[in-house]
Amino acid sequence: MIYFDNAATSFPKAPGVSEAMAAFLARDAANPGRAGHRMAVAAERMLDDTRLKLTRLFDGADPSRMVFALNGTDALNMAIKGVLGPLAGKGAHAITTVLEHNSVSRPLQAMADAGAIELTRVTCDDQGFVDPDDIHKAITPSTKLIVITHASNVLGTIQDAVAIGQVAREHGVLFCLDAAQTAGVVPVSIEQMNIDLLAFPGHKSLLGPTGTGGLYVGEHCPAPGNGDTNHLRPWREGGTGGDSSTPTQPAIYPYYLEGGTPNTVGIAGLAAGVDYLSKQDTTQLLAHEQALVAKIIERLASDDRFTVYGSLDATKHVGTVSINIQGYEASDAGSILDDSFEIAVRPGLHCAPYAHRRLGTFPSGTVRISPGPFNTEGELDTLLDALDQIAG
Amino acid sequence: MSQDLSRYHRQMLIPGFGEEGQRKLLGSKVLVLGCGALGTVIANLLARAGVGHLVVVDRDFIELTNLQRQVLFDEQDVTDAIPKAEAARRKIAKINSQVKVTAVIDDVNHTNIEKLAEGCDAIVDGVDNFETRFLANDCAVKHGLPYIYGGAVGTVGMTYAILPHTERGDSPWEQAGAATPCLRCIFEQAPPPGMNPTCETAGVLSPAVSIISSYEVNETLKVLTGNWSAVCPTMLSIDIWANTVKQFKVKRAYDVGECACCKKRNFEHLAGLLSSATTTLCGRNAVQLSQPKDAAAPKLDFEELAQRLRAHGPVTASKFMLRADIKDNGAEYELTLFTDGRAIVKGTKEPNTAKSIYAKYVGA
Repeated sequence: MIYFDNAATSFPKAPGVSEAMAAFLARDAANPGRAGHRMAVAAERMLDDTRLKLTRLFDGADPSRMVFALNGTDALNMAIKGVLGPLAGKGAHAITTVLEHNSVSRPLQAMADAGAIELTRVTCDDQGFVDPDDIHKAITPSTKLIVITHASNVLGTIQDAVAIGQVAREHGVLFCLDAAQTAGVVPVSIEQMNIDLLAFPGHKSLLGPTGTGGLYVGEHCPAPGNGDTNHLRPWREGGTGGDSSTPTQPAIYPYYLEGGTPNTVGIAGLAAGVDYLSKQDTTQLLAHEQALVAKIIERLASDDRFTVYGSLDATKHVGTVSINIQGYEASDAGSILDDSFEIAVRPGLHCAPYAHRRLGTFPSGTVRISPGPFNTEGELDTLLDALDQIAG
Repeated sequence: MSQDLSRYHRQMLIPGFGEEGQRKLLGSKVLVLGCGALGTVIANLLARAGVGHLVVVDRDFIELTNLQRQVLFDEQDVTDAIPKAEAARRKIAKINSQVKVTAVIDDVNHTNIEKLAEGCDAIVDGVDNFETRFLANDCAVKHGLPYIYGGAVGTVGMTYAILPHTERGDSPWEQAGAATPCLRCIFEQAPPPGMNPTCETAGVLSPAVSIISSYEVNETLKVLTGNWSAVCPTMLSIDIWANTVKQFKVKRAYDVGECACCKKRNFEHLAGLLSSATTTLCGRNAVQLSQPKDAAAPKLDFEELAQRLRAHGPVTASKFMLRADIKDNGAEYELTLFTDGRAIVKGTKEPNTAKSIYAKYVGA
C-alpha cells in the first residue's frame, strides 16, 4: 500500500511514537494529578514536558496556556464555543472563510442558525487564497472572533496568517488559527502571527497518534476571576485533578479547560512525534512535500485529462493538492486507486463543503493527494503512472 | 391455558405428530430470516401449522416483481409500499390469530442475529445471500439451534437441515444420533461476491421456490415436534426444468473435516470478521460497500456480470470498474463495481438499501 492521505492523518507516524506509547502504557499509565503518588506525578510531568515542547514549537509565551485536546475539532470547539458560546452574551459577530473544515464551519453555522451570533463567511480567490483585506472589510464593531484555517485541507493553499493576525490585533478582535494542516510542517508563531487561539491536531504533521491535539490560549483570552468579560468559557467541564473544592472549573490554566482524564498514552506518543520533528530540519520536510506536490502539478496541470484545483505554485502549498480525472467521479477514481493500484488517497468533500461550492466541485468533490514526510519520489511516480492508466 | 386445536385436526392425524406434537408447535418460537420468495412460503405454512411465535426479519419493501412468487403479498401491498416483514405480520394475523408474529424491519447482521434468535427453537432460511447464511450457521452452532438452510434461483433449489453438534453434545438430536454437519463443514467459505446468479439477474421460477421452502417447513415441523430420526440427513438439490433430484450424502464432511465452526467453535462470521462493511460517502447520495479482504478471492469477472446486468439497464465496463444503471422498485440506482468486489451504490444514503441492491444484483 502506498499512502497519500496524510492530510487526513499522517502515516507512518514518527519513529519512536508507538514505542513511547507502549512504554507509557506498560509503565507509567497513572492518572495525572489525581493523586500524589509517584506514578501520578510522573504522568503529570510527562504532560507538562509535552506542553513545554509544544509551546516552544509554536513560539508561545506560557506553557500553562497549552491545553490538551482530543483532536483539532475538539480544540476548535473549545475555542469557538468558549469565545462565542451561550454564556458569552448575544449579538457577537464572527468572521470565517469558505475554506474552512466542518470543525470550524459547523459550530459557527449552528450558532448563527440559533441566532446566537452573526456570521460572515469571506470568500477566496480562484487560486484558493483569502485576501486579508476582505477580512479587514468584514470587521464590525461587534466582531469578536476571526477563525481561519492556516492551510486549506482541500487545496493545500497556505493563507497569510501574519497579515490576518495583524488586522485582528489592530481591531482588538480575537484571532483563532486552525493549524490542522500546518502544525509541525509550516512554521507557526503565536507571537509573530498575533494568534490568540491556536488549535491543532497531534496526529497530522506532528506525526503523533490520533486522539491528541491542543489549543493554545493566548494572553488576550484571560482566565475568569479578574473582572475581564472577554474570558473564554470552558466548553467541557469536570474533574481536573488539582483544585476539587471550587464549585465550577478552577480559574487556572490549563486545568480550566481540561476537564476529564487526558489521553496520556496518546500524549506520550505525541511527545515522541514532537521530539522527532525537533531533530529534523522542518524547512527541508516542507520542501520535500512541496517538491512532490510540484511534480504532481507539473505532470497533471498541462494534461487535458486532469483538472488541478487552486494555485499551481507548489511553494504556496502544504503537502496537499486536489485533482479530478476527466470522466471519473472522485469517489470512483479513489476506489480504483485503492482496488487496482493499492494507493490510498481521499476522494470526496473532505469535510469542507463551502470550499467545494466555491470551486464548483460540489457535491462530488475532488481526489485529494497529500504526500507526507515519508513518501518517496518512487511512490509518487507509481501514483502518476496509475493516474495516467486510469485516465486512459 | 388450553387452546382450541380443532383447526389442526388434519395434521394431528399424522403418525408422530398428534396432539402432543401440535402443542409443541404452539409452544415453539421460530426465527424466519428473510421474507421474500422463500420466507413468505415458510411464514405462511408455519403460521397455518400453528407454530406459536414467528420472528420474521426482512429489510426490504414489497415491489411488483415480488408478486410472481411471494405468496403473502398482493397488489395493495405494492401500492402501499409497506415493508415485507410488516405485511407478513398483518396477513398472518388474518390467517391464524393463534400465532404471534414479531415483524423486524432490519438487515440481519452479526450485531443483531443472536438477539433475534434469543428464545427461538429453530432458524429457517429465507435469505438471498451467503453472507447471512454463514452468519445464521454460526449462530445456530454456537447456541445449539437447528438451522434449516434453503435457497433457490433460476430453476434450481437446495435445502438441508442442520442439527448442529453442540459444545456439550447433549442436545436431544445428538442424543437421538441425528446431528448433521454444519454449513461450514460442507462449504468452507461463502462464495465471493458476484460469483453466483441471483433471482434479479438469472430469474427464478416460482415452483422452485415453493418446493424448496415447503421442504424447509417440512423439516422444521419434524424438528419442532422432536421427530429427530425423521429429519432428512442429506442435502437435497432439485432442478425442476432438467427434472433432476439429487441427494448428497454429507455426513462424512463432519467426520473427516476440521470445521472451523462446529468442531473448532470459531465463530468468525458472528464476530463480524468476514462481514462486508458499509460507508455512507461524504457529501454524496451514495453508500460504499467493502468486502472483507481475501487475497485468494478471484477478481470480479466484469464481462459476465455486465451480461447479467444488461437486462436491467445500460452497463459500461472498463479494466477498472463496471457501472450499471438499475431500476429497482421504482427507484433508480447507479451501481459501480470494482475488481475486488467493493461497490458504490448511488441513489441512497441507507446502508440497508445499498446492501439489498448488492445482494440482488451482484450476489453475496
